[in-house]
Amino acid sequence: MIDETIDGTLRWVDDRLGVAKGGRTFLDKIFPDHWSFMLGEIALYSFVVLLATGVFLSLYYIPSAHEVVYHGTYRPLDGQRVSEAYASSVGLSFDVRSGLLMRQAHHWAADIFLGSIAVHMARVFFTGAFRKPREFNWIVGVTMLILGIVNGFLGYSLPDDLVSGTGIRIAYSIIESIPLVGSYLAFFVFGGNYPGSGVILARFFIIHVLIVPLILLGLLGAHLGLLVKQKHTQFPGKGKTEHNVVGSPMFPTFMAKTTGFLFIVTGVIFLLGGFAQINPIWQFGQYEPYQISYAVQPDWYMGWLDGALRIMPSWEWVGWGHTIPLEVFLPAVIFPGLIFNILLVWPFIETRHTKDLAYHNLLDRPRDRPKRTAAGAAMLMLLGMTFFASSTDVMANFFQLPLKSVLWFFRFAVVLAPIITYFLTYKICLEMRAAEGIGKRKRALIVERSTTGEYVTVESEPRPGDGSEELEAIPVPTFIDLVPPELATGEGVRRVMR
Amino acid sequence: MSDESPKLEGPLPPAALDDPHLQPYAKHPEGAQLVAAVAMVVGFLGFIGFGVAYWVVASTQWEAITLGVGLLGLGFGVTAWGKYLMPQGPFVEERHEFHSTEAEREAMTAAITQRGGMVVKRRRLLGGLFLAGSTAMGIVLLFPLLRSLGPKPGTTLFETNWKKGSKLVTIDGRQVTVDDLEVGGVLTVFPQGYTGSSPDQVILLRLSNQLQPLAPPGRTSWGVAGYVAYSKMCTHLGCPVGLYQEQTQQLVCPCHQSIFNVLAGAVPEFGPAPRPLPQLPITVDSSGHLRATGGFNQAVGPGFWERP
Amino acid sequence: MRRLFRARYLAPVAMAGCVGVVGLLSFASGATPADASPTTTLPKLTTTATTATPIGTPVRPSVSSIVKNAFPRSTGLYYVTLPTSFIAPGEALFAANCSSCHGPQALGTERAPNLQGLGSGTVDFWVSTGRMPLANSSVQATRKPPRFNRLQTLEIAAWVQSLTPGKGVQVPVVVTQGADLESGNTLFTLNCAACHTITGAGDALMEGAYAPSLHLATPTQIVEAIRSGPGNMPHFGPGNITDSEAREIAAYVHGVIQHPADPGGVGLGGIGPVGEGFVGLLLGVGVLMLVCFWIGERT
Repeated sequence: MIDETIDGTLRWVDDRLGVAKGGRTFLDKIFPDHWSFMLGEIALYSFVVLLATGVFLSLYYIPSAHEVVYHGTYRPLDGQRVSEAYASSVGLSFDVRSGLLMRQAHHWAADIFLGSIAVHMARVFFTGAFRKPREFNWIVGVTMLILGIVNGFLGYSLPDDLVSGTGIRIAYSIIESIPLVGSYLAFFVFGGNYPGSGVILARFFIIHVLIVPLILLGLLGAHLGLLVKQKHTQFPGKGKTEHNVVGSPMFPTFMAKTTGFLFIVTGVIFLLGGFAQINPIWQFGQYEPYQISYAVQPDWYMGWLDGALRIMPSWEWVGWGHTIPLEVFLPAVIFPGLIFNILLVWPFIETRHTKDLAYHNLLDRPRDRPKRTAAGAAMLMLLGMTFFASSTDVMANFFQLPLKSVLWFFRFAVVLAPIITYFLTYKICLEMRAAEGIGKRKRALIVERSTTGEYVTVESEPRPGDGSEELEAIPVPTFIDLVPPELATGEGVRRVMR
Repeated sequence: MSDESPKLEGPLPPAALDDPHLQPYAKHPEGAQLVAAVAMVVGFLGFIGFGVAYWVVASTQWEAITLGVGLLGLGFGVTAWGKYLMPQGPFVEERHEFHSTEAEREAMTAAITQRGGMVVKRRRLLGGLFLAGSTAMGIVLLFPLLRSLGPKPGTTLFETNWKKGSKLVTIDGRQVTVDDLEVGGVLTVFPQGYTGSSPDQVILLRLSNQLQPLAPPGRTSWGVAGYVAYSKMCTHLGCPVGLYQEQTQQLVCPCHQSIFNVLAGAVPEFGPAPRPLPQLPITVDSSGHLRATGGFNQAVGPGFWERP
Repeated sequence: MRRLFRARYLAPVAMAGCVGVVGLLSFASGATPADASPTTTLPKLTTTATTATPIGTPVRPSVSSIVKNAFPRSTGLYYVTLPTSFIAPGEALFAANCSSCHGPQALGTERAPNLQGLGSGTVDFWVSTGRMPLANSSVQATRKPPRFNRLQTLEIAAWVQSLTPGKGVQVPVVVTQGADLESGNTLFTLNCAACHTITGAGDALMEGAYAPSLHLATPTQIVEAIRSGPGNMPHFGPGNITDSEAREIAAYVHGVIQHPADPGGVGLGGIGPVGEGFVGLLLGVGVLMLVCFWIGERT
């Protein structure tokens, strides 16, 4: 009965769209099973959660700097003059049912989205998956990272609270620091001298909910489309070559796993959203440009920029009637510009260095490319040092160290640590390559004693996760043969060109 | 590129149902199914619980735990189904070369160069004019995109509302008198009529009762009765420098920990701030109120290109 | 006897009875000092709003606060002059515990500053927070369990005050009940958050100093700190923060900072994105990576 319904529906759709042939290929599509290939899915599904919770939030938030008097459940704010943006955000948190859950889930999803992009990008980098023919996909991915960071900053600035408003002030000054056009750009974007004509929240809002998500969705489609067309990479192993893909078929295995994973990611995000308080804007109060709190850090994915700003010495260039505030321009414009550009063109940097123009569908073990691995580790250490440098005051307070010492430590660490990391990582890679079987899961040796007292060692059963490795890969077969094989040459029946 | 594994052609082989590739991964499929089923039942109950939590309890934590349990239950159930109860594989598909053949590439290049060349070579003028027109369009369309957004800075960045005679008032609009602050006191002040205005924010400190504070040359009269006033806007990135360390006589900017020496004209001693905080000259009028005797000694706030 | 119930006597008798009952109640509530042998029982000098009352739930006032509200002061904050009977025991305590650093007349030595003129409230702050006596010499004294009980602390304070009568900050009595929390919020944000952070978590300052966390401060200590400006803290006099404003700040710190509503779950330390980043990356991405380990292959 179900079979006939499916058959009838498929025929109806196929008459109009011709999907059966390509659809079969799609269903047989193979996805390699390695766990590290799922990191991008964390990003994808947290993005789905961002969209869903974001739609909810956008129905309540008012992107306006217009002043109103707050009257709501949170008493310490009652009667205070605040912006509509702030009032609607606090109202969403206290007076809208499930509002706080959605708001916090949205914010946690953003943190997890960017965190998972970072680990996914690291996986792609260290295994060399960005090489030909996947350079486009790498560029698309890095662009999505940049847009994600920007959108995160815009998003947490929307409630107009004291902590995020400080970040907006800093953003204004960074734009202002650009030579020649800085003051003009800042006045244009904000509508005047800081805090501007009050338009900035509305502009942030529309960029955050419309412009960037549209671009992100387009890039996401390109990212996944390229993945479908070029097929996924895989680690070398039994039966895996440059010319095949070994793993699980899209239907039913991968679909089941990925759907389950979508639920799990969403579940984790909502558990965090309800039990771990994030961005309690009611405690911070309305932003005023003459008020400030101590221990203000941006969200983690902006931390590296804040840290760079803190440790930069106060070198300002003044001459010929002009000023270039290098203490702002270098760490906040040049430094991220360099990092992102290096990231974007890395596949081409590597190609120029290795002169390797071949196709690569098999991945590297990181230790097999010691220079790339060391460079990546050094980059991570550089970003990590600037990231930790953003919480100098919190660390000084927590570890009871003098604040100046912590700052000086990071000034040196940000230069020395990446260099040391490069050489250490390079050495470790070479050592690991020299050792045989390192890092591989080995079968346990079970010692058995025979009745005559002899000891004998046997290998144990394959562990979970190693099982299917023991089998040679076969093409996805037809599961149940509804049509006798001798009729299989009929048109449109089960014959698929590969 | 050479091919090591055999290409598959023709109809695929039907499955033999005892093929190990088709067997579920779990050693005890019935047990695995039970676990997955229990997980899904828990998930189902979780969602029912969310419904109850939403309508009856209306607490963030209850909504989260029920929704989380529902999602994780269903998620684990479906994932376990996919991992343990479906054919364990591994399966293989072939990569086909997706780049075109040499002949196809040549044909494509030829189509562009020959057809296009035929037209453009004979109508170079038109091609050039179209290019020029499009470039002009691209440039002028940037104008509304950028210029319409806001006003030109002009001299705005160099101006504040502090003038000779401006009265110092608190955020509530109350005038500041000479007795208001004790030694070691700190207060945020504005010019009267402009409370809350960002460029006008001033931090007023009282360093002593009578002693003149140390000051840069020419500014010894800029304080009065131990009071000294600086712009509160940090010269690094504009954060309000609200942190006054009274014993060490330092103003610390909470954002990136620039330190300004209060006794020496708020000169930066450490941290990324490049310039001292602009100072506001103040005096006491006949009724005991504090007033400014002029504007700041330089433009307030962070650096920008036009600042000399 | 029947005369008492006649109308003209009823009112004054009833009033006398009420005063008597109320007076007894006001002395009955609150803990008496531990190992003192006083002849008079002091009323509690700190507020009695004890249990945590998250914002939004109705508050049941305690008995002594009913008393205070029955005879309200105009600002909810008033300063006490400590009884002269405290001075003698205070002198003995000071001589035994403090004079080795501060000198026998509290005039200071090279080790410790002059305390004359600072006032009983200043002394009360340093001693009741346990910062004095100093455990070890470091850049900044830290809060620790106080060495003396409340009575002894006030005795020491009374003696130091007696050296310069009328000068300095007095010990305040702070009635936080009924204070305007919204005003306290505004004042706290403008005056206190730049050092103590907007959630009162405290943070590091320069030269080894730090702005301490506010989570253990009593309303009395808060007002004493505001007025006396201990260490690197500025001095906020009545011309800057009035008594009524100081009381509102203390009420805000006590009612909101120390008992935050936290409707969103665990507060994660109140230090903002630093704690949130840890949780998001380790618990969020980390847990999900563990799930990936489970779902996927490991070879």
